Amino acid sequence: MASPIATAALNAPAYEPGEQMLLTITYSDADTKPLTITLVVADAQGNSSAPVKVTAIIDPLTVTVSDDSGRTWNRVSDNGAVAVYRAVA
Amino acid sequence: MPRVTVQVRDVAGHTATATADYELRQSVLGGYYLSGGADPSADMAGGNFRSLTQYRSFADGYIFPGYNRPWLINLGKAGVQMNMVLELKHYGAPSGPQTFTVDGTSYTVPAPSMTIQQRPGTTWPKAYGYNQVVDGQCDGLFARALSQYRTLGFGVNIQIASELDTDHEFGTTEAGKAYTWEGSDWRAVQAINYILTWFKARTLPAGTTFSVGVGGFDRACFQRTHPESLMSRLDFLQWNVYATDASHTALGRFRRTKDWAVADLGPVALSRRVIIAEWGVRSAEIPNQSGWIATVPAAIAQLNAERGPRITQTNYFNSGWGTLSPKEAGLAALHSAYGTRPFI
Repeated sequence: MASPIATAALNAPAYEPGEQMLLTITYSDADTKPLTITLVVADAQGNSSAPVKVTAIIDPLTVTVSDDSGRTWNRVSDNGAVAVYRAVA
Repeated sequence: MPRVTVQVRDVAGHTATATADYELRQSVLGGYYLSGGADPSADMAGGNFRSLTQYRSFADGYIFPGYNRPWLINLGKAGVQMNMVLELKHYGAPSGPQTFTVDGTSYTVPAPSMTIQQRPGTTWPKAYGYNQVVDGQCDGLFARALSQYRTLGFGVNIQIASELDTDHEFGTTEAGKAYTWEGSDWRAVQAINYILTWFKARTLPAGTTFSVGVGGFDRACFQRTHPESLMSRLDFLQWNVYATDASHTALGRFRRTKDWAVADLGPVALSRRVIIAEWGVRSAEIPNQSGWIATVPAAIAQLNAERGPRITQTNYFNSGWGTLSPKEAGLAALHSAYGTRPFI
């Protein structure tokens, strides 16, 4: 299994107290693949159900954010490759 | 320096870690004043100017935004922090009694009964007297100012008086009675308390703050005009800074009054932030005005790194002692300084 890779970037090097801070995380893993399974149920008489699609992700990734100053970072968005978190300076 | 750590983990427990460091800082507002209270927009354009000092007499019928000063509203709505100096001093307007109507209520305010800035050989300016204020005779002036303030659309710092030390240095006279410098300071504190009580009892625009104005050149006066009972009702300390001698350094001039404050004032006063309503470099003694201006950012950064009240706003006084000469070079130096930490 491959190891994930991640980068983290803040939208500024310094903040005024109370200012919004945005953290952009870019992450991926060579193993992480979306998979779609299409399922059809058929009976002995040859009747088939309508196809049903199920998606699954192989080797999903979890992202955790911590801050040594104790600030709480809240997730704004995450599309599986890029996540944006927000905190207040 | 705080650090944020990101960990990405897959199902098998493989992880990737990334970090990002950041800094917390409090930048200082670089500000301005243009001679005559004129429109400073052109001078400020393209620069990191974030505050502005303005002067108005309570005697004037146009305080907020001022007579023919629509630009003040534009700047304020654009986020420029206004330090509005409201003075009991008359600026030379007809000094008789005034009758006017504010929001349907008629007020009559008597003629000003005090003289200030009694420098020998000069014409002493008139001002509304501290007794007149405490006796409620000037309430109409405050009502008129407040009514206009409420239409501005943004909150301002109200600095009461420009420089109490300059006003009182040669004593004052009210209704024929002479007061010493010290006595004038005590009376002013009572009157300012009255004005604060008057305004704070009423609905004020969000973001309203208060300070009291001093030049800051006299240590005893600075202490007398900053008792804890008054400071508990004020949001800022304030003093002005001028370089008028070739030996004057930015660090030395900006720190002079701060050092007195740290040594002489109480914990409430020292918990307050500082507005430098005016700073300036007199080109007669310091021909390299631009060079001096360039040393200001480092001086402010150093002072704010030391203990004591933090300077949050410095407004260059392009008038009088601070007149930028030649203007283009001085303005360029100011633009450059305000583009430098701690102003950014």
